[in-house]
Amino acid sequence: MIGVISYLVFFATTASILAIAVLGLNLQWGNTGLFNGGVVAFFGAGAYGTLILGGAAQAGHLGGYGLAYPLALLGGMIAAGLMAWIVGLLTLRLRHDYLAIATFGVAVAFENLMRNAEWLAGGAKGVRGFERPLRSALGDGFIYNLLFFLAVLLILIAVYLFLERLVASPFGRLLRAVREDEEAAASLGKSPARLRLTAFVTGSVILGLAGGLYGTFYAFVSPQDILPTLTFQIWAMLIVGGAGNNRGAIFGAFLIWGAWTASGWALSRFAPVEAQLYTGSLQFVLIGCVIVGMLMWRPQGLLPERLVVSQRGKPPSVQ
Amino acid sequence: MFNHTHRAASAGLAFGLAVLGTTASAQECTTKIGAVLPTSVDWGRPIAETAQFAVDQVNEAGGAAGCQIEMVLRDTQVDPKVGVDAAKALVDLEGVKVMLGAVSSGVSMPILTSVTVPGGVMQMSCCSSSTAFTGLAEEGKTEGLWFRTFATTAVQSAIGAKVAQDQGYGSVAILYKNDDWGQDMGRMIAADFEAVGVAVTTSIAINDAQPSYRAEVTEALRTQPDAIYLALYPAEGTAAVREWISLGGTQNMILANSLKSDEFRENVGMQYLGSALGTDTSSPRSDSADAFRAAYMARFDSEPNGPGLANSYDATMIALLAMEAAGPDATGAQIAEAVARVTDPAGTPVTADAAGFAQARDVLGGGGTVAYQGATGNVQFDVNGDVSAPAVVWSFTETGTQEVSYLPLDEVDAFIGSLR
Amino acid sequence: MIQNVIDGVLTGSYLSLGAIGLTLVMHILRFANFSHAELLSLGAYAALVCDALVTALAPVLAIKLAPLSLTWALGLAIVLSMVLTGLSAVVIDRLVFRRVRERGAELSMVFASFGMALVIRNIIGLIFGLSPKLYSQEIAFATVLSFDPLILVKPDQVFVLLAALVLMFALHLVLSRTTFGYSLRAVAENPALAQINGVNLARTIVAVWLIGGGLAAVAGIFYGMSHQIIPVMGRDLVLPIFAATIVGGIGSVYGAVLGGFIVGLAGNLALLVLPAGYTPSVPFLLILAVLILRPHGLFGEARA
Repeated sequence: MIGVISYLVFFATTASILAIAVLGLNLQWGNTGLFNGGVVAFFGAGAYGTLILGGAAQAGHLGGYGLAYPLALLGGMIAAGLMAWIVGLLTLRLRHDYLAIATFGVAVAFENLMRNAEWLAGGAKGVRGFERPLRSALGDGFIYNLLFFLAVLLILIAVYLFLERLVASPFGRLLRAVREDEEAAASLGKSPARLRLTAFVTGSVILGLAGGLYGTFYAFVSPQDILPTLTFQIWAMLIVGGAGNNRGAIFGAFLIWGAWTASGWALSRFAPVEAQLYTGSLQFVLIGCVIVGMLMWRPQGLLPERLVVSQRGKPPSVQ
Repeated sequence: MFNHTHRAASAGLAFGLAVLGTTASAQECTTKIGAVLPTSVDWGRPIAETAQFAVDQVNEAGGAAGCQIEMVLRDTQVDPKVGVDAAKALVDLEGVKVMLGAVSSGVSMPILTSVTVPGGVMQMSCCSSSTAFTGLAEEGKTEGLWFRTFATTAVQSAIGAKVAQDQGYGSVAILYKNDDWGQDMGRMIAADFEAVGVAVTTSIAINDAQPSYRAEVTEALRTQPDAIYLALYPAEGTAAVREWISLGGTQNMILANSLKSDEFRENVGMQYLGSALGTDTSSPRSDSADAFRAAYMARFDSEPNGPGLANSYDATMIALLAMEAAGPDATGAQIAEAVARVTDPAGTPVTADAAGFAQARDVLGGGGTVAYQGATGNVQFDVNGDVSAPAVVWSFTETGTQEVSYLPLDEVDAFIGSLR
Repeated sequence: MIQNVIDGVLTGSYLSLGAIGLTLVMHILRFANFSHAELLSLGAYAALVCDALVTALAPVLAIKLAPLSLTWALGLAIVLSMVLTGLSAVVIDRLVFRRVRERGAELSMVFASFGMALVIRNIIGLIFGLSPKLYSQEIAFATVLSFDPLILVKPDQVFVLLAALVLMFALHLVLSRTTFGYSLRAVAENPALAQINGVNLARTIVAVWLIGGGLAAVAGIFYGMSHQIIPVMGRDLVLPIFAATIVGGIGSVYGAVLGGFIVGLAGNLALLVLPAGYTPSVPFLLILAVLILRPHGLFGEARA
């Protein structure tokens, strides 16, 4: 029984960290309509920033600044925010598909830099040597995991409350106005460019926070953690959960991560021995089917956006 | 969690089994071990097949520590989060004390730091090569629970340089896989080539998942080397070498053991591989050295050629031998401690097959120690869980590979010493 | 340098073919189809099967068209595979995309295509195994065009380039000279208005998938002839093809052709500027540069 609880705590920690990332993306896409295809770059900047700032010195690359944990995490968030600011200045005037591919390129370039620049962050070996906060006091057994989960959960709730207030504020209304009709917003004397940049940077800082927590949880980060798969996973969570709805974003994160892991568990448990070697491929087929089925059945997501202020014009549709 | 499910047996049955001996009673229970391997990746699936093969052999020999072994296999998708979650589920829900895997260092590392070390589970990886693990072990953070059967890249690289020297190549171009193993390999082989006086014309990283390696190959070709050194996996190795040969590049090739693969040989073609020489770690010379190879061929109808296959077999076998040595209901730490008893150079040599396992059981039961003669060599771990091994130079044949020359451990060590 | 330029153009030819289909789908159906590159894999594997079948049924056809590695059988297989892949694209649209399109927004389609890409790629992996396959085990040697500077070209690649150019020209004629071409453009401009004017929308969509699928099949087979056929080839090719489409500007067939060549060139010239490890970023940095200068690509138009 303790095993089940221990696993569930572990699972919920990962899911909560991902949920924070999905919330960050929801601010960008759900509320502002920015198609960020490079989620993983900002997530990665947070993880790398936190571990480099808070870790022990490592031969051959940056590190060993030994900052207190909250400062290291903040540093990771700032790194993500700075990157978002630069990327945003360059790309935010692009729309949809173009923005997505441009930001995707940024993420590929970021992964490439981390993989090759050994002087910066250890290259393909990654960054290690990070001591999890309070580990010496709490050990690293179940108690530690439980407390870490509670800390992550508190941060998740704090981010959720912050975003709920932000979305309900006049600023939030402006963001939706930009999303729905940029020219109308501009005609009211608001600068859509600046609004978009603010939303993009804020969302990316939240993504960086999630990345920092992720790095903390594993006490390790390498280029393998920042492959495009993660961008896809976080987007799938948002789309299935319900873009524009913060509760949907959190729900989607738990649901998709649950389905992702549970399908692997179920296949390993119930698939016959001869089929075991094919379960990896089968699992991807299942994941694909779940996502496609979900979109056919409920395209607005499980918890759709509740439109209060703006009336959404019907998108141009074919057929 | 219970990892033994002894069913109550009637007195009569128990008596009968006692007469029949230990083999029969082993059918009564099942012990689970965990495996987290990238089964959805081309080179990952055979590694998992080989691990399962080792488990089957041990079960044939009556299981380990009195029970049949069930390997619960989970796919990592080469995604650290997925691998870590799978490992955690295996430890918490299935109650495993032994974890095989992962392959990529980037997946093995977070499993080690966040699942197996905190959970007191022994982790044995076939193929994670990153030097970061040695660093972690030196800091005492693996708590003796970490092992890998991947001989350090130093042996491969030194022997590669020796081949170039022996063949009289004046210059070599290097193509290496752009991951932690390849980056280490590329750096070390370049240094070793320089040490033996072979010029390195260029050293080019080959990234995963690129549609074409034409530009990289053209670049290497431009430097007109006498030979080419390849530290690549079969998929991109095949693509790069076919490109290389079609452009008229030299057929003088030195291959890391990752290219000791039937797939590579068939897709490039034997007619172009006549002057290709590979390096690998090897079993010591003994009658039993071919046991793994013979058994593997009987099962899979092909030679055990491919990245990490022999390493995967040894990782599994040593883990199961250690379980046998540690006895029933052992903790992960006890099993990890018992690894020394089954890889003791002074122990009784046992072969890498079912018969060897049965023999080891008798020796261990009598309080002795054994020296496991593995598929990758006379495996011995140092305090950091790293192995060193004899080396072999091989070449391709119409049906597989053959040995060209063999270097015992002391010669390997002496040669490495002469390079530094 | 000259060698890199030639290689870039040759690589660009199959990227262009892939990008044409993608740009049509993105323009007419208005979604970024991430499963488009899987049609390349589908085409390559379909040709592999057809090639084996044709060779088995009519062994005479296994003769090479020297100096190419192409056989008559594979030539026939290419045509069969184009049809099969085009039809598969139509079936996938019927089963999945049409249903999502009827109910969801633009982004639902994007993610449905992502999901379909996973499904197709892994089913191919389950059927054919995860290791690479080849149409011909033999290695086709390059012909030396010049020794100083050394310039090498493979006959196969010249064939691929010429065949690609012929297909592109044929498509150009269809789009600019036929009623079908006009109706296609009308649908892209304004689906509602086109329908009022008697364009059969459903039929146009089928045609788009047939053309896109057919060209994707050729691109996949050409890729397989130059390199290898592997279940993950769609994953490896999806980004260069997207890059080509975006650089050229969504909706522009000519842009897609040019974009393919630009991305091919960028990939092959990158090594002259950067260490090999960084080359995967180069096409994207190029896109970034193009988009900063021209936010709708080279030939794209702003669209509400």
